[in-house]
Amino acid sequence: MIPGWTHPVHLFAGLVIWSLWFVALYGGLSVGCAVAPPAAEQGALTWLNGGLLMLTLVVTALLAYAAWRCWRLAPAGDAQRFVLRVAVGVYLVSAGSTLAVGLPVIVYPPCV
Amino acid sequence: MTEAGTEERQALHQRLERVWANPPGWRSLAAVNHTTIGLRFMATGVVFFLIAGVMAMLVRTQLALPAQDIISPDVYNQLFTMHGTVMMFLFAIPVLEGMALYMIPKLIGARDLVFPRISSLGYYCYLFGGLIILSSMVLGMAPDSGWFMYTPLSSAEYAPGPGSDFWLLGITFVEISAMAAGIELTVSILRSRANGMSLRRMPIFCWYILAMALMIVFGFPPLILASVLLELERAVGMPFFEVAGGGDPILWQHLFWLFGHPEVYIIFLPAAGIVSTLIPVFAQRPIVGYRWLVLAIILTGFISFGLWVHHMFTIGIPKLAQAFFSVASMLVAVPTAIQVFAWLATLWTGRVVYSLPMLWIIGFLVVFVCGGLTGVMLALVPFNWQVHDTHFVVAHLHYVLVGGMLFPLIAGFYYWLPHLSGRMPTRVLGNWGFWLTFIGFNVTFLLMHLTGLLGMPRRVYTYEPGLGWDWLNLLSSVGGFIMAAGIAMIILDIALHFRFGRPAPRNPWGADTLEWATGTPPVSYNFASLPDLRTRHPLWESPELPDTIASGEHGLTDVSHGRREIYGSDAITGKVRHVIHLPGNSWWPLFAAMGLALVCVSLLVRVYPLALVGVVSALVFLLRWSWENGAHPSAALLVHGESHDPPLHSRTTDGPGLWGMVVTLMANGTFYLSLIFGWLYLWTASPGWSVPEGEQIALWLVIASGLALTAAWMDFEGAVRALRRGVDQGLQRRFWRAGLLGGGHVALLLWALRDASLAPTALAHDAVLLVMLVYVLGHGGLAALLTVLQAVRVGKGYVGRHVPYEPVVVRPFWVYTVGIFWLSVAVFLLLPMAWGTPA
Repeated sequence: MIPGWTHPVHLFAGLVIWSLWFVALYGGLSVGCAVAPPAAEQGALTWLNGGLLMLTLVVTALLAYAAWRCWRLAPAGDAQRFVLRVAVGVYLVSAGSTLAVGLPVIVYPPCV
Repeated sequence: MTEAGTEERQALHQRLERVWANPPGWRSLAAVNHTTIGLRFMATGVVFFLIAGVMAMLVRTQLALPAQDIISPDVYNQLFTMHGTVMMFLFAIPVLEGMALYMIPKLIGARDLVFPRISSLGYYCYLFGGLIILSSMVLGMAPDSGWFMYTPLSSAEYAPGPGSDFWLLGITFVEISAMAAGIELTVSILRSRANGMSLRRMPIFCWYILAMALMIVFGFPPLILASVLLELERAVGMPFFEVAGGGDPILWQHLFWLFGHPEVYIIFLPAAGIVSTLIPVFAQRPIVGYRWLVLAIILTGFISFGLWVHHMFTIGIPKLAQAFFSVASMLVAVPTAIQVFAWLATLWTGRVVYSLPMLWIIGFLVVFVCGGLTGVMLALVPFNWQVHDTHFVVAHLHYVLVGGMLFPLIAGFYYWLPHLSGRMPTRVLGNWGFWLTFIGFNVTFLLMHLTGLLGMPRRVYTYEPGLGWDWLNLLSSVGGFIMAAGIAMIILDIALHFRFGRPAPRNPWGADTLEWATGTPPVSYNFASLPDLRTRHPLWESPELPDTIASGEHGLTDVSHGRREIYGSDAITGKVRHVIHLPGNSWWPLFAAMGLALVCVSLLVRVYPLALVGVVSALVFLLRWSWENGAHPSAALLVHGESHDPPLHSRTTDGPGLWGMVVTLMANGTFYLSLIFGWLYLWTASPGWSVPEGEQIALWLVIASGLALTAAWMDFEGAVRALRRGVDQGLQRRFWRAGLLGGGHVALLLWALRDASLAPTALAHDAVLLVMLVYVLGHGGLAALLTVLQAVRVGKGYVGRHVPYEPVVVRPFWVYTVGIFWLSVAVFLLLPMAWGTPA
């Protein structure tokens, strides 16, 4: 057991990661389109979409892993169970949100 | 209870009252007690609500029939702008802050908030700022660009009068109060809960307020920055939002909605907290899914920051980016739905008592769910395009805000009215008030969805007949007046209540939370003794608690020292770690607010030397206020043999001030990051961005000043580390040295600024650089000044080995100052060299 997983920081750590990813996603798209915009004819098959998709998948996997770890540790003491159970929810929703918000990169061209 | 017991209880009450009571008569303006300040916030907010309500009635009168000219277009523009501005900034947020300031200490078993004088400062900033904004209406020069003040409509070219200045300066002034409340509430909830009230035992309302407070801390700074930049553009011509000078009006929209969308949830969360508090009481059972609600609150607090661009779907942002924000906007419905289902499950499994507050809760559920559903519709980009800037959006936002905030607020008001007045609300007038408001509201705004779908744009002062909008507008106006009659009925009810209301029994609704143990109306110190808590439902599991508290059977009953004291507890476990000694009544907050009001008015009339006088006077008052701290005789004089079990917070290195400083710096950091965002945004997106040739600022001079700053910080840091180990030899000398080095940093940076070849009124690039330099200078100067003050305080004996607290509080400010300095050098000076000018 990693004692760190029962720390209250896990009540919001998943969403901090989600926020940073969101900034990277929107900021990366904007800067990418300003610096080296892929042609519209390429559709969604561009380096920019690919990079954003990879980032999305990595962050989703990371958050899902964190949710799984918290879930495995949940039968700990009473006080810790509260943090762990809420943390599971936070990590899971963060993972789901990351995937849901990021998935449009497989559909739309980036800069149009 | 025996006669001796009653006398003893009375004697304890008198002793506590001597320490905690407000001064009488006009001197009560110096009161800092959270009950008083909270009530002042709420009463002032209600007055602003009524004024803004009258404006809404004027708007509805004008729109009732086509082609009317009861109100001129100019006045109409001012009316709808001021209606939105006053409702959002002067009613919704302050009244909820006031409620939180009033409730939180009572719910967590404390006698006051941890920074009572900051509450008082916040109130006066709110009052003065509100009066300044409203005065523009009286003078006939109110802002008229809409409550979100889009540039260039609000810029000098299209709004040459002082209306926009009233908005920008007044709202920024008012936002000081929001920030004060945000910081105050965050630290109070985390650090002053009753002994044993761990996070999982906190009343659910505290989770909501904690989220709201932190959202204020992170949500308001982008708007404060935007307001500062726009006012600089209007006053001295720095072209942050002008394309011709390399600025971009879209930057305003980003900064405004970075604040504006979380703002909706800042308003909704405390209202939902009321709902989550009331429903279990009237369902007579604990809330279903406490953990789920905590999860939903945390999710809302974060995800609501990722939606701001859905207000900007029509400005030409790439479709992929719109898709990100569209999905995020739909996702925020998930935590809201969790809450709605938890409420329904609680009602379903409970034995519901349908009293007056419950009527408003049911009204809330109906109206808010409808508003939420139209919100999901608006998250869909194609639909959003169709109804953008139509009355559909007006209907949606009123369903969300009135349903999501006003209805729960009135429910909470009726629920806690016996707490305030000691009397029960009356059913007959209360029912009339509810039904008139509920019916009037739905007649007004349900139909307005249709008006919008039929294409009626918002903010038009009139319309031609025969467009299909006539009867809808007429009925909306009739509904508006029915709603106004409902509000009038509630006011009548309240007016009669204080004279004719039936006396309330103790804990009249059978609630589980601690506020009902304070007495009705509450005493100035809330609790005669501070209990240990082992449950989330103290009054259900220990109904005798109000008696044992009042009899002084719990902690912290000794007030022979004359200090106002509360427990300082661990943020997670709630275990007592120290005793916080609070400052008493004071005029300094009022004086400081008056200094800031002078700044605000001087900038409005553009008498800048007078504004400087205001700045200096406010600074002097604030520093004089800070003088009464630590071991100062009016705070907690160091005495031989004082108790250390638990110690006073000023004798430790981890009190509420440290947490307050860190939370303040989080807000400050958000402001700074917003500036960096603006810089990078303009660099990449502004169509006319232009970078001057050559080195504008002597880099070597800037770096030399940075080295002086870093040396000062390291000196200060070393002194604080020694102090933490209990060593205070040479402390004063080191503080003097650090202060002087800090002064050297300021001098060098001023030199660099004087020799810089900036053209801030010609180029947005240079204007941003100037703002950054002034920001960094201000921090360096303040860090040096605070350190010099610490040196003087060491000499006076207010700071030292036995009172190590204050330098520990100042330390994060030094770390922040050094951090932003070098980050600024990297982002504003070095990065552009590497990056060059974009094509």
